[in-house]
Amino acid sequence: MAARLTKAERAYARKVKDAVQLLFFTHHRLPGVRGWELRKELGSDWMNVLDVLDKQLKPLDLQVTRAFDEPDIVEPTGAQLQDARYYVTLRGTVDQKAAKTIGWRIDDIAGLAVSVAYLISKQGKSPRADVERVLEEKLPGWRVKLNVDRYIQQGYLGEDEQGVMYLDWRSRAEIDTKKLVDLVVGFGKKDREA
Amino acid sequence: MSELESVISLCRMVQSGKIEPFDIDFEYVMGVIRKHYPGIKDVKDFCLDAEALKELSSVLDRQNKWIEHKSSTLYKDPFMLSQSLMRMDIGAVADAFLKSWHPIVEMEQISARTLAESLSYWGGLIPLDERWQTEEVAERETGTATLQQARERGLVLTEGFAELLEGFWRELGERAGVGGAVEYWDWIGAETYSDTVYRAYITVFMVSHGYANVTRDRITEETVIIHNPEPSRDPERPKVSLPLMVDYEEWKLWRRG
Repeated sequence: MAARLTKAERAYARKVKDAVQLLFFTHHRLPGVRGWELRKELGSDWMNVLDVLDKQLKPLDLQVTRAFDEPDIVEPTGAQLQDARYYVTLRGTVDQKAAKTIGWRIDDIAGLAVSVAYLISKQGKSPRADVERVLEEKLPGWRVKLNVDRYIQQGYLGEDEQGVMYLDWRSRAEIDTKKLVDLVVGFGKKDREA
Repeated sequence: MSELESVISLCRMVQSGKIEPFDIDFEYVMGVIRKHYPGIKDVKDFCLDAEALKELSSVLDRQNKWIEHKSSTLYKDPFMLSQSLMRMDIGAVADAFLKSWHPIVEMEQISARTLAESLSYWGGLIPLDERWQTEEVAERETGTATLQQARERGLVLTEGFAELLEGFWRELGERAGVGGAVEYWDWIGAETYSDTVYRAYITVFMVSHGYANVTRDRITEETVIIHNPEPSRDPERPKVSLPLMVDYEEWKLWRRG
């Protein structure tokens, strides 16, 4: 019995290692791996393997995250789980000092935050001109266009042929939108209440 | 611009986020569509009417989503949100973002295994001057051949192309059963690579002319050719363009079984 258990454990450990290679290394133009690719490589218990990996990543402050193509999915079906894209992300958050070391200026971060929050308030869609107008309140015009292009290029924001902006895959994977909106709306509340 | 075209454009402004979904007066738009319906004279008018209905139904869909969004925990009054954003200095906005940001971790690295595999590939790669050897061209006297001779040399088909496709279609029916399926390589695979390419070439036409279908399982990556019991030879039917892979290495693997 003990030997059989060890065998099963060994098989799981191997699958977890395979999952690490799939999730950490860049395989496509975009990071992350589709659920069906994971299922193909890890077998039918791929979701359990991801759970085990997620637990093992916890001490390293990392986690396995998934993002659906459709942002409104709450209770995903099996097919939607297989279509979702899976990533490893930081479990905790970064501070301003750390953000600077990974190439982000404070202006860039604030610009992205404002764009994301504005788009959420507009139900996820808004003309680019409106987004830029909001950003121009606090950032110089020449910088606004550059920044918006950069956010699009990095996959945080998307823009369709009509110039309508939306939250793209990286925002869905990396940003806890509810927390962001709560923090923005709740800003200064304590001070005002006091 | 006609009245119908104006309401279509109005509805599209909702789709692009230029106006809010509830800024559209459903009764008014519906009234315009109703007013124009009895006056439809030709297909163009009919299409315009259908388009207006389609755009209005999209507005209803957006209104529904708007209510769902408003009732969700994510909803915050847009005005309140934008006022908060304006009140905050850049540092505070950045801080709020960083507290809700979990960046993706990814690595770009060459592993020892990849290096070993690449070296082995390099070792087996035939030099360019061998791979790209130019064909020896020799001058020949021109001559004539009979139709029979041309057929024997495979330059002219012995039967019409439609008959050829029908022949393959019958073979597929025999091998897969009527309406049945056969695995892609088992169908195109032949003794020689050139015969295999030929079968794949004919298969493309079988699919585009409605004699067979192809499906590919995205998970198992298995491709099957399905016999179509009733080929649709309607020349008006849009043709399907189908790229098929006939990889030489895969053919060798298939031959080895």
